[in-house]
Order: sequence, then C-alpha cells, then structure tokens
Amino acid sequence: MRRREFAMLAGPSILVMAGLLLLPLYRTIQWSLQDVDYGSPGKFVGLDNYRQAFSDPRLADAVVFTVTLTLLVTAVLVVVGYLLAAFVNSLGRSKPYVLGLLLVPYVIPHIVGATMFSWLFNANYGGVVTYAIEKMTGIQVLWMTDTWPNRILIALNIIWSMLPFAMLIILAGLQGVSAEILEAAKMDGASPVRTHLSVIVPSIRGVLGFVALISIMDVVRTFDPLVPLSPQAVQLGNESIMLYIYNVAFRDGGQDLGLGSAINVLLILLIIVLLYPFIRGLAKEARMR
Amino acid sequence: MTVPAGVIPSTDESAELNQVVSEPHSRPPRRLGRTLVVGGLVLLICWTLLSPVLWTAMTVTKPTNIAFVNPPQFFYEPTFDAFVNLWQTTQFYSYLVNTLVVAVISTVFALLIGVPAAYALSRYPGWISTLLLVAALVFRALPRFAVVLPMYDISRALNIYDTTIAISAALVAINQPFSIWLLRNFFAEIPEQLDEAAMLDGCTRFQMLRRVMIPLMGPGILTAGIFMFLFAFQEYLTALVLTDVNARTVPVFIATQLGQTLPMLQQAGAASMILTLPVIAFAFIAQRYLVAGLSSGSVKG
Amino acid sequence: MSTSRRRTAAVAAVVASLSLVATGCGAGSKTSAETATKVECDYTAPSGKTDVNVLAYNSSSVDPYTNTMVSSCTKGDVTVNHEPIDFAGQVQKTTATLAGDSGTYDIIETYSFVIPQLAAEGKLEPLDDFVEKHSEEYGLDAINENMSGAMTYDGKLYGLPMQAQMLIMAYRKDVFDELGIAPPTTFDEMRDAAKKIQDAGDIKYPIALPLLASADIVTAYDAALGSLGMNLTDPDSMSANLDTPESAQALEELVSLKPFMDPQVTTFDQPAVQQQMYNGSAAMSIMFSGRMNDLTLESNSQFAKDMAFAAPPSVDGGDILYDTISVDGWSIPANTKNDKDMLFEMLASSVSEKASKASLPAAYPARDGMVTESSMPFATAANESIAGVPPSEPYPWTASISNAITPMIADVVVGKTSIEDGTQQMQAAAEKILAESK
Repeated sequence: MRRREFAMLAGPSILVMAGLLLLPLYRTIQWSLQDVDYGSPGKFVGLDNYRQAFSDPRLADAVVFTVTLTLLVTAVLVVVGYLLAAFVNSLGRSKPYVLGLLLVPYVIPHIVGATMFSWLFNANYGGVVTYAIEKMTGIQVLWMTDTWPNRILIALNIIWSMLPFAMLIILAGLQGVSAEILEAAKMDGASPVRTHLSVIVPSIRGVLGFVALISIMDVVRTFDPLVPLSPQAVQLGNESIMLYIYNVAFRDGGQDLGLGSAINVLLILLIIVLLYPFIRGLAKEARMR
Repeated sequence: MTVPAGVIPSTDESAELNQVVSEPHSRPPRRLGRTLVVGGLVLLICWTLLSPVLWTAMTVTKPTNIAFVNPPQFFYEPTFDAFVNLWQTTQFYSYLVNTLVVAVISTVFALLIGVPAAYALSRYPGWISTLLLVAALVFRALPRFAVVLPMYDISRALNIYDTTIAISAALVAINQPFSIWLLRNFFAEIPEQLDEAAMLDGCTRFQMLRRVMIPLMGPGILTAGIFMFLFAFQEYLTALVLTDVNARTVPVFIATQLGQTLPMLQQAGAASMILTLPVIAFAFIAQRYLVAGLSSGSVKG
Repeated sequence: MSTSRRRTAAVAAVVASLSLVATGCGAGSKTSAETATKVECDYTAPSGKTDVNVLAYNSSSVDPYTNTMVSSCTKGDVTVNHEPIDFAGQVQKTTATLAGDSGTYDIIETYSFVIPQLAAEGKLEPLDDFVEKHSEEYGLDAINENMSGAMTYDGKLYGLPMQAQMLIMAYRKDVFDELGIAPPTTFDEMRDAAKKIQDAGDIKYPIALPLLASADIVTAYDAALGSLGMNLTDPDSMSANLDTPESAQALEELVSLKPFMDPQVTTFDQPAVQQQMYNGSAAMSIMFSGRMNDLTLESNSQFAKDMAFAAPPSVDGGDILYDTISVDGWSIPANTKNDKDMLFEMLASSVSEKASKASLPAAYPARDGMVTESSMPFATAANESIAGVPPSEPYPWTASISNAITPMIADVVVGKTSIEDGTQQMQAAAEKILAESK
C-alpha cells in the first residue's frame, strides 16, 4: 500500500482521535503543570502538583487498592469467563436465549448497575441478600462501613458487569479451536479437564490475553460503581485512583484541577506500565510480519 | 486452523465442537438426566447473573410504600405506576429518543471512519502501524477525567455543547480504538493476495475496499457496529458533562433520579429496565453474528 | 421455534416498541411543569425565539417554585427550560456555568451557603435595582428581611429568597407516647429517650441523622458547634476555632450518639434517613425542613400518620439549638446573555404570593406570614427552630473550609482518628485556607 493511500484511509480516524483525545490529553498535561481551578486562568508551578501528589498517603493507598482490585478481578474474569464460555458453548437450542440474557449486565450503564446491585445489599433499602444472610447465619454484614465486605461488594459488582464481555470474547475464541486438535486429544484418551487445560487453553491464549488486557484497562479506571456502593470509600481505604481524582479535583466543580490533572497523568503512566507486556507482544508481532 | 473471515460456522460444526468440548463420559449419557442437569445449571447461572435486574423489576412493580422496606417484602400486588409515571411525568421519551439518535449517529460514523482505518492498518506494515496501534491502546486507556473537561471546552468553543452532535462525536472518538483494534484483526485474516487480485482487475484501492472487502467482512463490521451501539447506551460520564437541557440521555437521567424521592427512585428503576430491553432485543437478533464475527479472525493475539 | 419464526417474533417486538417510541403518545403529558400553579409573569419579551435555562435541583420544596416559573413564564417565543437534576449535579453545573464568559444557564438556584463566595468572585448579578423597580408589582416587600439578609453580601442582594430550610426533628409520636417520652430538648434527653426506646426492644437504633462521610457530616458538626456558641472562624482576627474545647465537644457529642444509630449511619444522606423513618427503623431524626413533608405522605410509608415534629434539641441546654438555616433563592449569573430585567421578572413571579402559598406545606416560604399551623403540620417546629438557630457565617472561605474538614470529621466519627488529632488537622486545614483568603 502506498503511503498516500494509507494517509487517506486512516486519516479521518487519526484526525478524530487526535482532536478529541490527543488534544484533551495535552490540555490535561498542561493543567498538571499549573495551579488552576476550572474557569480561572492557571499559574505555572512546574512539578509542584506531582510533588504534592506523591506526598499524599491517600494516593499510595488508592494505587495499592486499585491495582490489587484490578489483578484479582482480571484473574476471576479470565477463569470464570472461560468456564461460562465453555458451558454456553455446549448448549444447543437455548444458546441464543442464554447468550442474550447473559449480555444484560454488560450493557447496563455502570452507575445504574451498581445502584441495582446496592439495592440487593443495602439493608436500609430492603437488601434481600443481607436479609437472607442474616436469616441464615445470624450475621449482620455491614457492606457499606466495613472495609472487607465493601471490597467484596465492589469486586462482585465489577465482575458481574464485565463477565458477559469476557464470556463473549472467549466464546468466540472457542469457536476457532480447530476440530483436528480436539479429535487428536479425544483419541489420546484425554479427560475433559485435561483437554481444556492442555489443549484448548493454550490454543486460545491470545483471546485470553485480550480479555485480560481489556479487563486491566477498565478495572484500573473504576469509578462509577464506587459512587453508590461505597459512599464512605475514603474512610474505608477503598478509594480507587479515579475516585481520588474526583474527590480532589471534580467534586465541587473543578477545584484544584492542577493536582487532579497530575494524578490523571500518573494514572495513565501506571496503565502503560501495567499494559507493557501486551505492548511488547504487539511490537514483536509487528516485527515478525 | 482458523475459520476464514466472513463464514458463519454452521450448526453442524458447532455441534461437533459441543460434543467434544463438553461430553464428560465416553459412553453416551442418559439424555434426560443430562438435560435436567444442564437445564438446572442454565437456570442457576442466569438467575444469579440477572438477580440485580430481577430484584429491580420486583422493586419497581411494588407499591411505593413497600418498595424499599426493611425487611423486604416478597408478596404484593404488582402495579405499573412507576412506568406510567415515568412516561407521563418526566421527559423520559425525549431522553430515550436522544439516546437512540446518539447511538445511531455514533455507530454510523464510527464505522465510516473506522473501517478504512482498520483496513489500512492491516495492510501497511511497519513501525507507523505499530505506533498507531499502541497509541490507540493508550487512548482507550485514558481516564475519562483526563478528557471530559477539555471536551467540554471544545464543544463550547464550537458551539455544539448540549447537542447530540457533540456527544456522538465524543463517543466516536472514545470508541475508535476499540473498533480499530477489532476490525483490524478481522482484516488481517483476509489474505493480501485477494486485494492484489481485485486490483489487478482494474479496481482502485477504494473501489476494492467497497466492493470486495466490506461484503466479505460483513459479520465483522456488524459485530463492531453492535458494540458501538451498545457503548452509546452505556456512556454516563461523558454524557453528563456534554449534555444539559437539550441532549440529555437516559443514563444521565437515571443518575439524577437516584438521590431523590421514593417515587422517583422507582422511576429510575423503571427507566433502567426499559434501557435493558434494546439490549436483549439486539443480543437476541444479532448474537449469532456477534459470536461468529468475533470468532472469524477476531482477537487471536 | 425455528430460526426464522424466532427471528420474525423478535423483529415484530422491536417494531412494536419502536412504533411506541415513535409516536411518543402521552409522553411527558403530566410533568409537574404542566400541573404547576400559574401566576402573572409580565415581562417584555425580546424579539425572536428565546430560551431561558433554569438550573435547580429537584426536591419537594424547590420544585413548586421551579415549576411555577417554567409554566407561567413560558409564553410566545420565550421558552423556559428546566431539566431534573440532583443536588450534587447542581453544584457541579453551577461551577461550570459560572466559569466562563458565557454559560448554559440564565437562572440558577442558589443558597445562602454559597452566596458569599460566588458574590465575592463577581459571578452573580446584584439584584437591588431590580427589586426596587419591581417591588410593588410582585409584592417583594413581604419577603422576610432576615432571609434577604442571608442572601446579601457586602451590602448588595445577590439572590431573591424563595424559601428557608432549617433543621427539624421528626419523631414517631406513637412510639414516644407508648413509652411516655416527651420530644427531647437537649442531647442528653435525646440519648435518654433513645435508650428507653432501645430497651423496649422493637427499635434497635432509634436515632437517624444524615452523617454521610463525604458531605452531610460537616453540616452536623457545624450545627453542633453553633449550638455550643462557637463559630467556625472569627473574621475579625481571621482565625479558626476548630481546636477549641467547643470543637472537641461537638465531635464528642456526635460520637456519643453512635450507639443509638445504625452502624452504617456515616453512609446516610438525607434520603437514606428518610428511608429509616419510612421503614420504622428509627424513631427520631433531624433533617432539613424540605424533607419533612415526604414523611407525612401515606404513599411513602405505613407510619406516615404517626409522624410528629419538633424543633431540634440544643446540645447542652442553651438557647441556641443544634440547627442551621439555609435560605434558598434564585440568582442571575453575571454572564447570562439574556435580558436581565426579563429574567428578574421571572424570578419575582415564581416567589409571588400565590406561588409561595402553593409551595406549602413542603416548603417554608420566604414571605412573611405564610407559615401557620393550618398551612403546615410542622409550622410550630419550624418557627421555633428559626428562633433558635446559630448565627450564619457569610464569608467567602466558609464553604472551602467546610469542604476541607469534611473527611477529617468523618475520620473522627468513624473512629479512625482521635478527637485530638482530628481537631488539630481541621485547624491546620482551616488556617491554610484563611491564609490564602487574606
């Protein structure tokens, strides 16, 4: 393909992304070097915001919480997503119905889904799950004010909303597993567990990698679920990085935008670090072509 | 080893797959027992994953004074007041129309600029492509807070603030990385010889793209389109910042009802239920394409 | 079902719902704007199509005024628009719309807490001239002077008061009567009453207060501090009073109520506290007056008929109550492009006598003489509450300090930091903000 053709084909897309994503990113970096409130002109302060960010223990807590949450949720998504995909794959006539139904949690806006979730657990609003747990075990779980139950609640909600996507992608990947390999495994007398572990999983590891990639990218930026599910996040140490940015820079309408932007930039760097293995794989694959 | 792009796996092939992948014993098991177990599992899984939605469905059909009582009540006389009130006492209808309009516009434009770009990236090897793909990856990973305020500024400067154009444009940009990635992998499965063969016949690159590639890519493009459409229903933060009185979408509306009086809370739940309907309909009609599209070529990595 | 039949059924369902959407029959036919009171709104309309956008959060007490404005002032080519929004959203949109040379909104709902800061920054239009011009036409003399004062900064009026909200205690008359308890007038009495109710066995956590760790808790602290006779800051000496014994006592008093409140009380905003009353999980609560009317509606709760109201208690027996007053009103942004005289007439019409009367009993109108026992079930409580409210602090830094100390107060109440450490942190934060304001 000639360079001119490439420019014309890819041009519009690159322009749109540059205008609406790169430009804002540039603005954010600009703001991160200023002491600025939204609406007022900013004052250049160099790396002060970054220094202030690093000196706040709340940011360190947020990073630890967010990264741990991300890795855990990603692991669960890959494993449970795989199990679900394998199961749905085995269904016959009910497959389309089941697939359609299971896709619902994925498409509900996160903030809406999290509120629905909270209605299940929030005793004040008639939370069935809490009620059932209390009836069965006598324990009154404080989902909103105890740190670990709150973490479980948040993790459950994120997994709930992302599982359909993971399942869908892996399901598609399973369709691509060649029949010959499966035949060979069957003839070797491999048990189904063996077949899955040693034959199928390795052959779709690209797909599993993709699921992990998207999951890491999205869970690290968790914000919406925390609003209804963790009103006391700061006190519990369950503040995600995005929630921290919101509290610092956006809650009252754009105050301390400089500090918030600095943390935004740091978050982007963190994501790049987390995605490095995938980026390296990409580059390697490209070099092989 | 891979299924060629554009071919929807026939039911026979997937049935064979089903058998090999899921059969637990070498001897054919009793049909009824297996069906019951599988059926039970299906019910359990669906019920668990849909429990928040089911509980919300119950909550919005309860009379307001017992909808949120503690301990929860399970037996009641259902009423659809929440839905009626939602329709009549709020502008839900216009929000729904806004959301649909935004979804359609953003999907169409996302594909219009994404398909050629993805094709180009799949055919133009070298460091530029890799760089762009990595950049696309990073763009997808941008925290919303890093982009919404500048987007607000841009939309005000261009005088398109609070219009469906603004939010559609934002959605196109935000979801470009995902669609380029998806489509590029589809295109990569189609051998380049096909391009050359078509062009030998006298087509220009663009004509070939339009007449040969895109039809071949049908399921792939449909898949990307479905995702774009669904993303538009999901977007909250960007819609919150870029809309106000004119172009408000359903997710923003639902969020504003959440901290209010009980009837409004029920209406928020009702709106959420209505929001899930297009999804179920879509997934139903299109799920075959969704899975086929994703499998054919997709994300092998 | 065969594939094609299934497909047809699905498509048919989609078409059916699409046609409903397309016709939109009955949509939005009974919005509150449609059913609101209509009053005179005689402004000189500008030529051509004009849109007037109103920013006001939804609540049973503000809605009547908003809806009156929308329905009465929309005529001819002028359309008054209002979209539902919650309070947090209003806060954010206010900052956004006032930030630049032009904004989205032409009329914004403001409240006494933020007037000083916004006025000091020059973001609001002073209304004195307009008031003088239209006073007779809209009967603006009847607006309570104190409430106007609450919306005045540096001698100029920046908001036209529509209503006042003060803290009111709502309690379950049946529970109190059964146990022979009188509504408490001090925190000690409140603790005693709660203990009695707890011991009776039915209600485990009798007290419910909005102590949301990210927002409402600072209002509670401020109310307690005010009741002890102390202000957050001293403007003459530009010093903060957050490390005084009264500040520590205010925190202690809040902590002392914890055994009588739901363990998750620090996640309760006002709707959650209302929910506690609706469910019968709590027997007494203290909230802003705008939330009281909802408690009396049978459609919300089976205990609606048993609700009674009283002024909030004082912390330790003085005249000043655990209380705070917020005057809600309408302001005109300085950066609006619409004719400000026309906008003022819209404001004035929405707070006219007829409109104010229609807002009862949900709201306590800013007009004198409207609140009587017959017009509002909690009139006595409201008037007593107003009489005993701590003085307000109309300084530009009050809002910033409140925001800054909120998480610190929450940490103390939750038990993460000691009262001593907490007050020190709060003092440091307040002093930093005062230094920047000098």
